[in-house]
Amino acid sequence: MPTDTKRVRGPEVSQSPSVFQCKPAAALPSCGVRADGRQRDQLDVRPVFVRCGLVSQAKGSAYIEAGNTKLMCCVYGPRETKRKDETDMKCGRLTADMRFAPFSCPERGSWIQSSQDKDFSLMLLESLQPAVCLHKYPRSQIEVNVMVLENSGSVLAHAITCASLALADAGIEMYDLVLGCSIRQDGASYVVDPTYVEENSCGSASEENQGGLTVAFLPSLNQISGLQSDGEMTKESLTDGIRTCIEGCYKLYPVVQQALAKAVRKAAPPPSES
Amino acid sequence: MATVQVSEAEKVYILHGIRDDLRVDGRGCEDYRHMETETDVVSNTDGSAKVTLGHTAVLVGIKAEIRKPRPMLPDEGYLEFFVDCSANATPEFEGRGGEELGTELSNTLYKVFNNKHSVDLKSLCISAGEHCWVLYVDVLLLQCDGNLYDAISIAIKAALFNTKIPRVHISTDDEGGKEIELSDDPFDCMRLNVENVPCIVTLCKVGHRHVVDATLQEKACSVASLIISVTHKGTVTCLRKVGGGSLDPESIFEMTEAGKRVGKALHTPLMNLLKQEESLGKTRQKVGFLG
Repeated sequence: MPTDTKRVRGPEVSQSPSVFQCKPAAALPSCGVRADGRQRDQLDVRPVFVRCGLVSQAKGSAYIEAGNTKLMCCVYGPRETKRKDETDMKCGRLTADMRFAPFSCPERGSWIQSSQDKDFSLMLLESLQPAVCLHKYPRSQIEVNVMVLENSGSVLAHAITCASLALADAGIEMYDLVLGCSIRQDGASYVVDPTYVEENSCGSASEENQGGLTVAFLPSLNQISGLQSDGEMTKESLTDGIRTCIEGCYKLYPVVQQALAKAVRKAAPPPSES
Repeated sequence: MATVQVSEAEKVYILHGIRDDLRVDGRGCEDYRHMETETDVVSNTDGSAKVTLGHTAVLVGIKAEIRKPRPMLPDEGYLEFFVDCSANATPEFEGRGGEELGTELSNTLYKVFNNKHSVDLKSLCISAGEHCWVLYVDVLLLQCDGNLYDAISIAIKAALFNTKIPRVHISTDDEGGKEIELSDDPFDCMRLNVENVPCIVTLCKVGHRHVVDATLQEKACSVASLIISVTHKGTVTCLRKVGGGSLDPESIFEMTEAGKRVGKALHTPLMNLLKQEESLGKTRQKVGFLG
């Protein structure tokens, strides 16, 4: 395991006080209204706030907030590839990096990228790659960096949306925006855009058919560019879940387009009076 | 993944063949290559298995150790996966080259086993909150000829079937502390129930059709693949799209259906083979790594 010798770390045996809770966290009920008032089994996503062009140094940037989940993305490029042996003569390279701030999750994380962070970064890269016109940027590298400021559920789905917005803000040519949506299957019912508590609840009464699904979708082209599921689900709930996520992406599309148009208008010079 | 350079003409040839349900080596689109499985190949482990799928060879060793359980789940043991892409497989894996692929493979394995039913984790508990069995599943890639996920998952299932965890019992000594005692009989051990351990099926999208168990050449012609992990009952524990291309939702549904069908069909012959191998006992001829 690589160790971080540059930073002074807290004692290794420290534990979060939530471990010592007297009552174990009650399993969330699998029927009825959700904790934040949204409905089950319906396409009830959290309202989304997006803004582009926040980071002045980056070529393109975007910030997204959905409920309590907050993340920001910066795009640098296209610029020359750092390592000469990785230069591809015919098309550009896209690199994606997703990191969690140590204070983002209820349990403190570390600054060293864990294997789960690498997994998210890989999934982000696979979701964005089909959408970017890499053949238009030979011998160049485009870097996408996502930083999760607060993790309150479906962080990968929102990271995908944020990253494609930042790419659009940077002026990188793309075939389409990539939007992400995730659901959590809990027995016979599902919840769209789960919160952190809903994602990690250790299971309700029904033991079967529990899992999470994240889908990255290109709405205009009707293509799925990213798909990831875990837990255990029947094939039927998976196919229904994929359809629900696709609908969720269609619902998100106009919001994202509007935010992008607003950012472009703000950056454009005012129309001349004559 | 180790890649081969495939010319445009070869790509067209492979594409047209698959369109007509005929692959380069004569298989159908849903046929596997010749597969050989052998368990108990490494004597220092608690369970081991070697799987050869065509030219892909994977060796899995499982060691059981006693550790403190995770704070959030005090009455369960757990599994730790590590995949090592050895430089023997291809020169690309020399040094840290194989690390990325190894991390990707082990992350997928964590996802596949991240549910309550694959392995009975409660049976791995010795005393709640203090001691539990941790199974370190170490996968070694010996040769790489495509379709690593399938070979690894079959090897893990075989190795888990072969795992013999020694029986321990806890006794309180004079000062009130707990002592762990290993049973004296070396054959007194606990076996795991691997009925629900899933198998991974990789489906590569080549042209308009999908193929199971793609070779490296076929992989070079496909833009995207779908990994689906299926239990013997047909429940899907992990579904994941890999590769830099995008897929149509309809083809994903088709591929999921095909993957579930192929995956379900893998389990029964594998379990029969493992039970048969076990029943041979001492009379079994060990093939090992040669021959």
